[in-house]
Amino acid sequence: MAKKQITRLFAAMVLAGVASHSFAADTIKIGIAGPKTGPVTQYGDMQFMGAKQAIKDINEKGGVDGKKLEAVEYDDACDPKQAVAVANKVVNDGVKFVVGHLCSSSTQPASDIYEDEGIIMITPAATSPEITSRGYKLIFRTIGLDSAQGPAAGNYIAKFVKPKVVAVLHDKQQYGEGIATAVKQTLEKDGVKVAVFEGINAGDKDFASIIGKLKQANVDFVYYGGYHPELGLILRQAKEKGLNAKFMGPEGVGNDSISQIAQGASEGLLVTLPKSFDTDPANKAIADAIKADKQDPSGPFVFPAYSAVQLIAKGIEAAKSEDPTKVAEAIHAGTFKTPTGDLSYDAKGDLKDFKFVVYEWHFGQPKTEVSPQ
Amino acid sequence: MPDIYHFFQMLVNGLNVGSTYALIAIGYTMVYGIIGMINFAHGEVYMIGSYIAFIAIAGLTMMGLDSVPLLMTAAFIASIVVTSAYGYSIERVAYRPLRGSNRLIPLISAIGMSLFLQNLVLMSQDSKDKSIPNLIPGGFSFGPGGAQEVIVSYMQIVVFVVTVLAMWGLTLFISRSRMGRACRACAEDMKMANLLGINTNNVIALTFVIGAALAAVAAVLISMQYGVINPNAGFMVGLKAFTAAVLGGIGSIPGAMLGGLVLGVAEAFGGDIFGDQYKDVVAFGLLVLVLLFRPSGILGRPEVEKV
Repeated sequence: MAKKQITRLFAAMVLAGVASHSFAADTIKIGIAGPKTGPVTQYGDMQFMGAKQAIKDINEKGGVDGKKLEAVEYDDACDPKQAVAVANKVVNDGVKFVVGHLCSSSTQPASDIYEDEGIIMITPAATSPEITSRGYKLIFRTIGLDSAQGPAAGNYIAKFVKPKVVAVLHDKQQYGEGIATAVKQTLEKDGVKVAVFEGINAGDKDFASIIGKLKQANVDFVYYGGYHPELGLILRQAKEKGLNAKFMGPEGVGNDSISQIAQGASEGLLVTLPKSFDTDPANKAIADAIKADKQDPSGPFVFPAYSAVQLIAKGIEAAKSEDPTKVAEAIHAGTFKTPTGDLSYDAKGDLKDFKFVVYEWHFGQPKTEVSPQ
Repeated sequence: MPDIYHFFQMLVNGLNVGSTYALIAIGYTMVYGIIGMINFAHGEVYMIGSYIAFIAIAGLTMMGLDSVPLLMTAAFIASIVVTSAYGYSIERVAYRPLRGSNRLIPLISAIGMSLFLQNLVLMSQDSKDKSIPNLIPGGFSFGPGGAQEVIVSYMQIVVFVVTVLAMWGLTLFISRSRMGRACRACAEDMKMANLLGINTNNVIALTFVIGAALAAVAAVLISMQYGVINPNAGFMVGLKAFTAAVLGGIGSIPGAMLGGLVLGVAEAFGGDIFGDQYKDVVAFGLLVLVLLFRPSGILGRPEVEKV
C-alpha cells in the first residue's frame, strides 16, 4: 500500500515538473513534427507511429543514461508556413531534438530555424537533395535521396527489364520531375533511348491524349515520376485503351491507394521502395509490438522514424552529453546499429549507404521483391 | 493511314470530356443568366454529387445487390435528389439573404460556401481517394489494331447518350414549360417579370436546383468513367466548366453546351500536338483568343448597356 502511494506521489511530482516547464531535466524531450491533418496524413501517421514506438522501447530499457525520453508532438499539416510556426514552437518549448518533418517542402524552411537555434533535426521521410545541400551541421536524415532513387530505377530498367521503347513521364513537380530526369539520364547513360519524355498535369483525371501518344509510339515501358492518384488513373485508362506496357514508379506511388484506384490494372507495376524493414526477422519484435497496438508497421516511414529516435539516443550516449552540437559531432563520427541498418553519415548529413529495392505490385496480394540481392 | 485512326480517337476522347464540361457549365451559365452572378460553389456541388453516387453504389453493393442497371439508376437518382437539395440550400443560405446587396458580397459568401462544403466532405469522408467500380467495362474497337485503332468504351457511349438526353430535356423544359418561360422572362428582365406576377425567388431557386441536378449527372458519369473521387476534385472541374461557359457565352444555354464540347476537343488535340503538359495552356489560350475577337463568347449576346 505504501509503495503504491509513493509511486503516485512520484507520478504527481513528474507531472508537476512537466507542467511547470521546469528544466530539472528528468526527461529528454523528443519533438516529433509532421502532418497529423491534411492530404498526406496517412504518411504522417507512419512517422508518429514509428517514433513513438522507439521512445516506448527505449524507455522500457531504462532510457538514455538513466533519463527517460518524452515525446512532444507537433502538427505541420505538410504546409511550409505551418512548419515554420511549428519550428518556432519547438524552440520555445525548449526541445533540443526533433524527428521530422515529413514533406520536403515543409522540412526545408523548418530546418533553417533548427540549425540557427542549435536543435538537431532528423527527417525520416523528406527525400529532396536540397535539404542537406546547404552546409548545415545539425540536420540529418534516415532515408535515401531522390537523386539516388532515380539511378537505382534506371539501372534496374536497363539491366533487367530491357524494354524496346521507353517513355518517361512526370507530374512537373519538384519530386516527380527530379526523379524522372534522373531516370532518363541513367537510361541514356546505359544506352537505352527514351522515346517520349513528357509532363502531365497533377490533379488531372483524363490522360487519353498522352496514352494515345504512347500507343502511337509503340511504347512497351513507362516510368512515371510522381504520386499515386495520377499514376492510378493512367494505369486504369491505359488498360482500357489497350496500351500493353509495363509501368514503374518511385515510392510516392507505392501504397495501397494505387490498387484502390487502378484496381486490376495495378498488377505487375514496379516500384522502387526502401527495403521493407518490417519483414526483416531482426525487426520482428518491433513490428509485433506495433501490430499489438492495432497499427500497421509496413508503411515506408515507420522504421526510418524508429531509427531516427534511436540515432538521437545513441548519439547522446556516444557524446556523453545532451548538447546538440556535441551529439551532432558524435553522429557524424560514428556508425550506429539501428533497425534500418548500420547508419553512418557524410559531412552533409546524408546516409553513406541507403538501398532502394524494386518491388512488383500484385492486385489483391502482397507485393513481391524482384530486385536481385 | 494510321493518322486517321489517331485523329478519330482524339476526337472521341475530346467530345467525351467536353460533354461532361458542358453539363457542369450549364449550372454556371443559368445562374449567371438570371442573377448575373457566378456561383463559385458549383464545383463543390459537383464533388458532392460524386460522393453521393459513391455512397449509393457502395451501400447497395453491401446489401448484396449487383445488377448494373439498378446500381446505375440508384446512383443517378440518389445523386440528383441529394445534390439538388444542396443546390437549393446554397441558394437559401448564401444568396437569398444577400439579394439586393453589393454584387461582391454574394461572391464572398459563395467562396465561403465552397470552402465549407469541401471541408465538410474532407472531415466526414476523410481525405483519401475513394474508388468507384466501372460498372460497364469494355468497349468497341474499330480498325486493324495496335496503334491503328479507335477504342470507344461503353462508358464513353453512356456519357454521350446521357448528356444528349439531359440537354434535350433541359432545352424542352426551358422552351416549352411554364416554369421555363418564367426563367426566360427573369433572364430578360427580373423586375418586369416580378411585376407581372412571377415569383422570382422561386425561379432563382429553380435555376440553382437545375444546375445542381445536371452537375450531379456529370458527377455520376465522370466518377464511373474515371473510377476515383476525392474532396478536392471540385475545384479544377469547376474551373474548366466555368471556362467552357465563358467560352460559349456566359448566360446562354446553347453556348455552354457548345463551349464545353469545343473546350474538350481543343484540350484533346492540344494535348496531342503540344504535349500533355500544355493541355491546360491550350484550353485557356483558346479562351483568351475567343474573348479577344468575341468578348461575349461564341454564342453570347453582346452586353446591352442598361439605362
